Amino acid sequence: MSEAVAAPRPAVRRDTTAAVVPVARQAWLLAKNDLRQELRDLELALTAAFFTLTVLMMFALAFAALPAADQTLAVPGMLWLAVAFIGALTLTRIFDREREADTLRAVLTWPVDRVAIYFGKLGVTLLVLAGCGAMLMPALALLFPAAGVFLQRPLDAAMLLVLGCVAYAAVGTLFAAGLATASGKNVLLSVILYPLTSPALIFALVATRALLEDHPQFHTYLGQLAALDVVLVVIASWLFEPVLLGSSATPPPRRPRR
Amino acid sequence: MGPIASRLPLLFFAAAAVSLPYSVQRIFLHTGIEKKMGTVQKIFYFHVPLAWIMMALGVTCGIAAAIHLRQSSAGRSRTAEALSIAAGEMVLVTGLAVLITGPIWGHATWGRAWTWDARQVSTGLLWLVFAAFVLVRRYGAAGSERLAAALAVFGAVDVPVIYYAVKIWKTTHPTTDVVGSLPAEMWNSLWPALGALVCVTMGFLLVRIRQERDAAALDDAWIALDERTGGSVEPALGAAR
Repeated sequence: MSEAVAAPRPAVRRDTTAAVVPVARQAWLLAKNDLRQELRDLELALTAAFFTLTVLMMFALAFAALPAADQTLAVPGMLWLAVAFIGALTLTRIFDREREADTLRAVLTWPVDRVAIYFGKLGVTLLVLAGCGAMLMPALALLFPAAGVFLQRPLDAAMLLVLGCVAYAAVGTLFAAGLATASGKNVLLSVILYPLTSPALIFALVATRALLEDHPQFHTYLGQLAALDVVLVVIASWLFEPVLLGSSATPPPRRPRR
Repeated sequence: MGPIASRLPLLFFAAAAVSLPYSVQRIFLHTGIEKKMGTVQKIFYFHVPLAWIMMALGVTCGIAAAIHLRQSSAGRSRTAEALSIAAGEMVLVTGLAVLITGPIWGHATWGRAWTWDARQVSTGLLWLVFAAFVLVRRYGAAGSERLAAALAVFGAVDVPVIYYAVKIWKTTHPTTDVVGSLPAEMWNSLWPALGALVCVTMGFLLVRIRQERDAAALDDAWIALDERTGGSVEPALGAAR
């Protein structure tokens, strides 16, 4: 432990095959720790679920009389807008806890690969998002007949939900981490998050509409969404360490501009 | 900085001062009027080069930001950071010009200024991403430089994805293959305009890079002084005044 406490450690060994297993284990341990905290007070789960219900009620009120043909265009929008808002809510909270207790610094001095922190947080975010999506999809299917396919093809719907959420959370976790350490300017999260996640969201929209319309290319879009997931996760995990370290462990010696 | 490097912005502006009037004269007096679109097509000679420059600047900013991010904080040069800031800001300026000239052209030829075509949406979102970049650089707390750099990297990666995604979302969009099928005469007028606009952009880019590097050097000097005087720079300066 003693050698690990020195703040700017030398770069962790990058033996890919040998490093993957410990990183996965570390990520799991970190995620388990977060989940244990979450199970104690259910703060994230309850607020996100409540928010989902509110949004659903608004959608039901506003779009109840929508003709079936328009529903196939509107339902994907409702689904992914709700996911985007819940995501912003979750991402703000997920690092807030660390900041409030000043535990991010503690986590950074652990002998863990920094990427494991990213994957741990990504896992928790994903779990909350997928949980809300699992509420949203059946509810939308009950409210809007055109979305009934969510219940008829649950496997496809679940795949779509998970892949879309991964793309959103992959980008979101990186920037939430950067902002969490940059002395609480969380206002900027939505400024950053929405333009940057728009490709993921538009792609998820396309795939959802294809599912609703029973489009023959649905599985192609799903594959492309998976490819986008891989690209985003790889870039985000590549940038995670410099972003996290740049904004916490080594505050750059800059005088504030006047 | 060598004598040539320090005069480079001036050289670019001088070249622009010559080539810009020339290209305007060439576009309006010596190039035929396009049959279908009429005089309004002249905006093409500004819109298309600006869009190209904007994309090149976006990619430049993304690459410079990636280099800045991956450099160790000890041995990093300020150039990559300065280049990413300058290019990011210039994306905002050229992007604004593209987003103004585009709808004018669209209004005249398609009948609608904004059609949610894949190119329009991806340009708009690219502009938003770089606006976020500039906002984070300006208003982010200390240490958000790297966050902004990560933002720029994602911005550069996002653009082709957005373009593709909107293209399959909108199965019907106006044909955008205008540039490929131009008569040689119009191509010949496009190049001087492109050259002139590149000169203007490069001039501004170099000026901004130098400003950022000077600001960083000033910061470093301030910190060095601070360390030497043990944190009593402000009172010392106050007394000197």
